[in-house]
Amino acid sequence: MHPSLALLTWLTDPWTEALTRRALLEVVLLGIAGGALGGWVVSFNLGYSAESLAHALLPGLVGASLLGAPLLLGGAAGLLVAAVAVAVAGRIPGLDRDTAVAVVVTALFGLGALLALSPDTPAGLQGLLFGDVLGVSDTDLALAGGLVVVLVGALTVLHPRLLVIGLDRLSAPALGVRTLTMDVTVLVLLAVTLLVAVQGLGNLLVVAVLIAPPSAARLLTRRMAPMLVVSSAIAVVGAVAGLYLSYYAGTAAGASIAAVLVGTYLVLAAGTAAAAALTRARTRPTPEPAGAPA
Amino acid sequence: MFDVLSLPFVQRGLVEVLLLAVGAGVIGTWIVLRGLSFYAHAVGTAAFPGLVLADGLAFPATLGAAGTGLVVALGVGALARREGGADRYDSQTALVLVGALAAGVILASDVFHSGANVETLLFGSLLLVDGHDLAFAAVASALSLLGAFFLHTRWLVVGFDARTAPSLGARSPLPDAILLGLVALLAVAALATLGALLATAVLVVPAATTRLVCRRLGPWQLATVALVAAEGVAGLWLSVEWNAPPGPAIAVLSGGVFAVVAAGRAAGLRPLTAAAALVLLAVGGSGCGALEDGSGHGVRVVVTTTQLGDIVREVGGPDVRVTQILHPNTDPHDYEPRPKDVRETARAKLVFVSGDRLDHWMGDVVHQSGGSPLVVDLSTTLPVQRPGKTSGPEASRHDPHWWHDPRNVEAAVGVITARLARVAPAARARLERRAGAYRLRVEHLDRGIARCFAAVPPAQRRLVTDHDAFGYFAARYGIRVVGAVIPSQTTQAQPSAQAISDLARVIRREHVRAVFPETSLNAKLAHAIARQTGATADHELYGDTLGPADSAGSTYLGMERANADAMVRGFTQGADRCTIPLT
Repeated sequence: MHPSLALLTWLTDPWTEALTRRALLEVVLLGIAGGALGGWVVSFNLGYSAESLAHALLPGLVGASLLGAPLLLGGAAGLLVAAVAVAVAGRIPGLDRDTAVAVVVTALFGLGALLALSPDTPAGLQGLLFGDVLGVSDTDLALAGGLVVVLVGALTVLHPRLLVIGLDRLSAPALGVRTLTMDVTVLVLLAVTLLVAVQGLGNLLVVAVLIAPPSAARLLTRRMAPMLVVSSAIAVVGAVAGLYLSYYAGTAAGASIAAVLVGTYLVLAAGTAAAAALTRARTRPTPEPAGAPA
Repeated sequence: MFDVLSLPFVQRGLVEVLLLAVGAGVIGTWIVLRGLSFYAHAVGTAAFPGLVLADGLAFPATLGAAGTGLVVALGVGALARREGGADRYDSQTALVLVGALAAGVILASDVFHSGANVETLLFGSLLLVDGHDLAFAAVASALSLLGAFFLHTRWLVVGFDARTAPSLGARSPLPDAILLGLVALLAVAALATLGALLATAVLVVPAATTRLVCRRLGPWQLATVALVAAEGVAGLWLSVEWNAPPGPAIAVLSGGVFAVVAAGRAAGLRPLTAAAALVLLAVGGSGCGALEDGSGHGVRVVVTTTQLGDIVREVGGPDVRVTQILHPNTDPHDYEPRPKDVRETARAKLVFVSGDRLDHWMGDVVHQSGGSPLVVDLSTTLPVQRPGKTSGPEASRHDPHWWHDPRNVEAAVGVITARLARVAPAARARLERRAGAYRLRVEHLDRGIARCFAAVPPAQRRLVTDHDAFGYFAARYGIRVVGAVIPSQTTQAQPSAQAISDLARVIRREHVRAVFPETSLNAKLAHAIARQTGATADHELYGDTLGPADSAGSTYLGMERANADAMVRGFTQGADRCTIPLT
């Protein structure tokens, strides 16, 4: 076989099955959405919320199943309660938001685990909402598509106000930006993303998509708008690369994508550190320390 | 009401909680003050790869968890320093956590093919607390006290203002690294009782609660130690009363106390009044949640799985009093024993286990009960055995799903009858009569299923399920197992894109017409595979557990009958059925 043809086969082979094509479409959609929202998650130090809010699904889920209500509705209700509770508890003086997250998520997850002990609770309930990237359904894809539209729209509209809070939280109210409203809005956007994305991708991969690409993008540019674009791009490229890795190395799909995304961050961090050291060596007389390499 | 405190495992749990309280209270205040809550949560959760390695390479789990904790502490510290500013660890923590979990899933799925036992430490248990855990908690607390005593000025300066701290002489990164290390140590120590997801219930929530009423560091730390101890002891007591694991009980209690104190403070109430109201509430709630006793009179027998419970009840009738530990639809691989299981086992004369590591946790229960029941492992006396599939030092020698071959159940009925007759000699005749009748029904079932499959062309008898539970059934009735959607047994495992693509190709090449999800597992992957290959996934199978009382699979005979019917319908695309009349 001609080498270029072999390369083409190598590149297209993973996508001959519709399962992997769906996985690809899902990670691309959520890469765009997660990369953009993730920029704000990282800027506002919402990593803990991104990682843990999904666990607050549990009591709502169990409650809904015990009452015979639609499961997704219960999960959504649980998440919204958690998001609002985190925003409110985070405003108590002396407690930072991460502590608020710890209090809210610990209590809700414990409550869910207690309720789940009831003999009336169906088994594997949590599994229902924690998907695998290779098990993506049409509903997951439609939800992911809707999420991209909603998130990109909301982030575009809110961009100026988010920037104000990001720049100077304390004087934001003087500029007409209500911090509590914005905190709740961002947390609710995050909760909606988690509700949709966790079903399609599983919790680990969702956190990876929300955190690693924007962290990597921040190494390249500190300006918010370009950073969000770069972040989405890294998420999409990393996700595709992760699926190739999973296909050819035979490794767990979701974890492979997560590993590639974190790896991208580490490589870029090492690269920018080396570049900064080089710059410093070349311009020795100036005592300017290596700050953010622009 | 307080007699539960005399149980040995409860006492050990109490000692563990009180030992932990000292360190957790002191360091908890620093976690809240320095904004390390996420890190405290992450460092325990990130223990997963350490647990997988410990399981795969056969070294103690605590060592694995502590090793990972250390790596995470160093990683977060190093990344945070790179970002320039020790005041924020948020996204660094998330990055390190994602990296650790991804490594854990890949190790569990593709390197060690781990069994479910790696998951037990992620959801701690009272029964898992042993002497090593007590020693570990004591050391962690002692080091925390030492660290807090010598370094608290340094921690305070950096916590007060990280950017100007260097100019105040706090240049060295060492004190902060020690703080991160101590948090890691305590999080790992809390794993045994609380589990990784709920370690924050002692490390963060109590300190946040006392923060609402305390202003100065000294009194705040003392109050936190006292609150952790009080919530821990009350939570343990509630967990025994409610028959729940201690982690969720302590988590709900501490979350409730926080909510009451915060609401009371907002309403201008005295904190003590609010706390008293809460204690009344908890005591009032302690009456509910108790499970029913094993029914009837007769010899007390404990069984682990649902299918064993059904068989022992068929043989024993009113002559035995069966306590069945697993509920229908509970996955036996990752069951966490509860306080009530231990109390029932302490009173039992006989314990029947399924064996081959399916219900390996029963060993702990018997050990903790302090009783001396005779434990009968039914997997050791079977006529038909198939080799086990999982690797690693804890892997089973044989495939544990032996009941899917009815000839094994006939043999098990013989063993159960003989053992019951030995402890209840007066009932021997009745036991043997019931056993004989039941054995006839099992034989009838076996012949009926064989007849059903004989009518299906061999080329159509190709089985794809979502885990390897049906090897015995397939071998008995001439069915070829083409593949499993999740080839490993832990629910943390994920398939690779390669494995799923290959499976889809095999299903098409072999013209497999149906993929069978198991009722107790997440069926999403099986449905995805079916959708793509044009096979159906509408027929569910009963694998590891019976169904609830109103389902077709509520008894052993019903379970196998339903499985046979589901497979025949799936293989023939609904053209044929398998109906075996009830006897």
